[in-house]
Amino acid sequence: MKRVFSICFLFLMAASSFAAGKVDYLKQIKPILSSYCYQCHSETQQKHDLRLDTASFAIKGGQTGPAIVPGKSEDSLLYKAIMGTAPDLTRMPYKKNPLDESQIALIKRWIDEGATAPADEKAEAVLHWSFVPPEENQPIPAVKNTKWVRNPVDNFILTKLEAAKLKPSPETDRITLIRRVYLDLIGLPPTIEEVDAFVKDKSPDAYEKIVEKLLNNPHYGERMGRHWLDAARFADSNGYSIDAPRQIWKFRDWVIDAFNRDMPFDQFTIEQLAGDLLPNATPEQKVATGFHRNTMINQEGGIDVEQFRIESVFDRVNTTGNTWLGLTVGCAQCHDHKFDPVSQKEFYQLFAFLNNQDEPNLTLATDEDKVRLAEYNKELETLEKGLERLIEASAADVLAWQKSLDSDEVGALKPEITTVLETAPEKRKLKQKLLLLDQVRKDDKKYKEQKDKFLKLEKGKPQVTTTMILAERKEPRKTHLFIKGDFTRLGEEVFPGVPKIMNQLPADVKNPNRLDLAKWLVDPENPLTARVTMNRVWMHLFGKGIVETENDFGTQGIPPTHPELLDWLSREFIRQGWSHKAMHRVLVTSAAYRQSSNFRKDLKEVDPYNRLFARQNRFRLDAEIIRDVELAASGLFVPKIGGPSVHPPIPDGVMSLGQTRREWKTSTGEDRYRRGMYTFFFRATPPPALTVFDAPDSNSSCTRRMRSNTPLQSLSLLNDQAFLEFAQGLALRVLKEVPDNDNARLDYAFRLCLARNPARDERKRLSALLDQQLKSYENDPEEAKLLAPANFPAELDVKKVAAWTTVSRVLLNLDETISRE
Amino acid sequence: MSHFFDNPNHNGDLQDLTRRHFFSKCAMGLGGIALGALMSENKIFGAPQVKLSNPFEPKAPHYKGKAKNVIFLFMAGGPSQLELFDYKPELIKYNGQPIPTSYIEGKRFAFMDSFSKDPPKLLGCRRAFKQHGQSGAWVSELFPHTAGIVDDISILKTCATDLFNHAPAKLFMNTGSGQFGRPSMGSWLTYGIGSECQNLPGFVVLQSGPRGPRGGSVNWASGFLPTTYQGVPLRGQGEPILNLTSPKGVSPERQRQTIDAVRDLNVKRLMDTGDEEIRTRISAYEMAYRMQSSAPDLIDLSDESEKTLDMYGIKPGEGSFARNCLLSRRLIERGVRFVQLYHTNWDSHGGPGEDLDKSFEKVCREVDQGQAALVKDLKQRGLLEDTLVIWGGEFGRTPMGENRESAGRNHHIDTFTMWFAGGGVKAGEVIGETDEFGFSPVEDRCHVHDIHATILHLLGLEHTKLTFRFQGRDFRLTDVHGELIHKLLV
Repeated sequence: MKRVFSICFLFLMAASSFAAGKVDYLKQIKPILSSYCYQCHSETQQKHDLRLDTASFAIKGGQTGPAIVPGKSEDSLLYKAIMGTAPDLTRMPYKKNPLDESQIALIKRWIDEGATAPADEKAEAVLHWSFVPPEENQPIPAVKNTKWVRNPVDNFILTKLEAAKLKPSPETDRITLIRRVYLDLIGLPPTIEEVDAFVKDKSPDAYEKIVEKLLNNPHYGERMGRHWLDAARFADSNGYSIDAPRQIWKFRDWVIDAFNRDMPFDQFTIEQLAGDLLPNATPEQKVATGFHRNTMINQEGGIDVEQFRIESVFDRVNTTGNTWLGLTVGCAQCHDHKFDPVSQKEFYQLFAFLNNQDEPNLTLATDEDKVRLAEYNKELETLEKGLERLIEASAADVLAWQKSLDSDEVGALKPEITTVLETAPEKRKLKQKLLLLDQVRKDDKKYKEQKDKFLKLEKGKPQVTTTMILAERKEPRKTHLFIKGDFTRLGEEVFPGVPKIMNQLPADVKNPNRLDLAKWLVDPENPLTARVTMNRVWMHLFGKGIVETENDFGTQGIPPTHPELLDWLSREFIRQGWSHKAMHRVLVTSAAYRQSSNFRKDLKEVDPYNRLFARQNRFRLDAEIIRDVELAASGLFVPKIGGPSVHPPIPDGVMSLGQTRREWKTSTGEDRYRRGMYTFFFRATPPPALTVFDAPDSNSSCTRRMRSNTPLQSLSLLNDQAFLEFAQGLALRVLKEVPDNDNARLDYAFRLCLARNPARDERKRLSALLDQQLKSYENDPEEAKLLAPANFPAELDVKKVAAWTTVSRVLLNLDETISRE
Repeated sequence: MSHFFDNPNHNGDLQDLTRRHFFSKCAMGLGGIALGALMSENKIFGAPQVKLSNPFEPKAPHYKGKAKNVIFLFMAGGPSQLELFDYKPELIKYNGQPIPTSYIEGKRFAFMDSFSKDPPKLLGCRRAFKQHGQSGAWVSELFPHTAGIVDDISILKTCATDLFNHAPAKLFMNTGSGQFGRPSMGSWLTYGIGSECQNLPGFVVLQSGPRGPRGGSVNWASGFLPTTYQGVPLRGQGEPILNLTSPKGVSPERQRQTIDAVRDLNVKRLMDTGDEEIRTRISAYEMAYRMQSSAPDLIDLSDESEKTLDMYGIKPGEGSFARNCLLSRRLIERGVRFVQLYHTNWDSHGGPGEDLDKSFEKVCREVDQGQAALVKDLKQRGLLEDTLVIWGGEFGRTPMGENRESAGRNHHIDTFTMWFAGGGVKAGEVIGETDEFGFSPVEDRCHVHDIHATILHLLGLEHTKLTFRFQGRDFRLTDVHGELIHKLLV
């Protein structure tokens, strides 16, 4: 049996100059050689007769002599080869990216230290760290500054900081902290009252109480749900060029609800991937399978439907790989994955799990639907009864008319009337009876009114909510490997199965299906799922993952900065019953989380990327949250959770972009002011206020958003109609809610946006702006009227409204307003 | 090393500055827009000391360059040089024959299993080729318009790259590295010499085709350079830039006053937190303000004559490569330093939508007229001498066909064709020769690093001296490589 080593925690040590002591060959060097060199220089293949799978092989060397001269890196061919400085030799690894500088430095150090390795070293591969299940009992490292530690998370962070002789940053001030934790956990800012109460609360668990409150706040599900919806590539339309709207918001609401109920992540996974296969599946469990219905549907004419069905299965495999395993399995669609141990056949084994479904819609009457339906039925019944009474009253007339017809006239009757006459009277339907009644009540206006009303109502039966789900086929489809990913070229037949590098399916599972796949993903021995999930949770709370390449835990990804912490979090997640709330609680109450995010001069050189987390990160809010924060400040915010997607104002000309022009009927009333995550998302013409702030396109799974910083964002916040309405709202709110005192009003407006009070110079600056604008609009009431909202209360001075709208625009455009510090 | 390469932004040592300094007169260097008289009168922020420099301020190059601006027509997906420029009668002759193994030994290809058993078969080009112009350059029937400009361009047939998958290869062509985190060419240039245009971003990205380029925004990211230098993508369809109009009742003066206040408060936050992203945001607002007056004029094509529109083949109201070509001319006319156009999809493996037949004809048709018109138009207007036009993708295609249901070729890194025009580049040259099958260069192999070195040179920058110190090392666009392609230079 092959011994495997985890290369878990070497890379950060490698990456930093902090690591003291001698280089450990087995832990630090061998994994690098294994990842980058063994392909051509090991037991299976020895290019130029060189093997590098043991240190002694390397010292012995190949055709061009020894690869390593112990103690002399500059004379060692291996070092020169990876540096690209060896004459007559291409830079190694051959035609691949060069090694990281830190890796090169480490190898150099190891050679200079004598290139020592255990005498009994065996030539065997090293298993990439992420495929080794997380350490079960990860020891919590000891630290010197025990006073700083609030929970084990801090031990893991502090031990590395202490090794690097760095101090953590001080705890941030209370106001920044409460705003941060609100934005992170519910995506809304705290109210002024909440801020004040927290600042005043001197009890030792004041902060913990806030955290508890937020974990139980229903907006928590929205915040966490939106992260998940990125991975689920959720949108409200079918995509491609036709991009017809679809109904699948029930799935979105299911996700929100699941987070709010803290549904264990294993169950959360199983229901979404295979809820329909659970015994006595509930409608909710079926709704959950909408996860994999968020694929696009091509409705163009002349397409090969099977081709696009297969496209969507590819997408499901890739999304599953991306979301749960943090692997880009998609490469193996066409060929063996060049870097990760997922073969093409294994890709199609995963494919086989997801190739056996029908794609129906589930009809679901919501409470609102039920009310509407009941009202409708009642009204219809009333109309029907009225008409029936009329029919009864006219029965004799109808009979008389029928008898009066001669054979010619009978022959000339419209066929539908003939059909009615041929039907036995007791079997005639209401509408048929009306046809006869028409003959004898031709001039009865009242009857006509009654009839038209009925016919119109009958047509307008209220639509009941539907949602898209998966359903397993009775007759399984055959799955073949597609040669080079081309669905027209069938290779060998394959059956559902999991990659052999990972945990295996239970032995008693004979014909594994989607349910088994889901269970396999959340098997505690699955090496990836818990790590990938916890890494994303960390990323959302600290701005950056422990594994920075959150969707590539494979050999080409960046290794974890804190592998022991990641393992501890993963095991703790499972131990806590896969509870997101439990892990959020641990993380946001840690001292590491509570640090100030201010930049530190002493970190600039040693840790410019803040990989050691010696401070929190300060970063721009997600697209939807920018809207939410501004909406909350404006006082217009409608906190309603869930329901069909809505249509806030969007700039002119957006909807004309798609091939098929889609209607955008701008919502009025409540739906105009809902959270950003409820904005109807057409894939072909996505809402610009979201995409400009890097909301994902929803065409494929997204597990990390970019954070760009462009003038187009400034234009959006400055000039977009929706954002202007928030500024107007904020202005009116301030004028209404605070008595006539400019400074008090400025403070209030400032706090609605930033939670904190303005500093003196900030207040002065705003006050100067206010005066300036009042003067500016003094002579220009017409202009003031244009900027003020349409229906501002008559008792307000329009110039004031305009000037305050400008102040509000400034506040809503501040970098701090749209950042989480 | 000249002063401006000393990381003007990252080394601006905020912690050493007092708030008083910052709140003084923020000499933004932005066309005389300083913090208003209002502020000084009120004496709110003390004495002037610190300047927030304009990141796009034009800076002196190392030496006088031949070109001022660049338009890079990026053919995303890797166009087949064998169907367009690299005419290979031998390949046609041996169509269907296995390629001699000497060609492919030790080579790796994107879809490795296609070559696992038998040697792959040569695929002759089925397109008619003709020689054109004074230069006698070979161009296929698929590029009739481009054939008309061969005397204005130089065709480089022996470009080579290192990476054979799309996203890494695109990154390589843009940043000189297949790994994330390095600045793209446009970022290096605007960082190095700023931009002649202060009313539009110095680095603008335009996109057309059925989808965005693989990799997306990392292709125009600024890596470790300040994010101010990242490319700004305009919208591919419809209005290229939204929200250019201030709200009603907000005059340009009032908008200016609004942005002044935003800036002052942002400066204070920058002081308090030290977050350099705030500096980028401040610049973004300044740029946004200036774009409000300059961009409507940029994107309004109504002042273009019908003749011009016809030359490009632009249909009114339609987003297209042709329209982007015209927009790129308008951008460099305004002094924008680097304009990059992406057009998809050139990934001609064979198979649905990616065959070398109808699909390839379609994508050729989409770019041919526009790109030829661009060169002609620039020349007519006397802009070509200052503007470097670059055409090419992330790699080329193999002489061997792929075994799919329709004709296609695999990714190929050993040789592919790019063309260059204008700004210091020879006109009417064909440079580099490939072997009889078009597999490898037989002379004048030009690596991506060499192309980068040459582009920088044309702009007046010595590629070994344009550096940025990051994590203790000086980084370059060309890493530790790069030779000038002398044959290309006037």
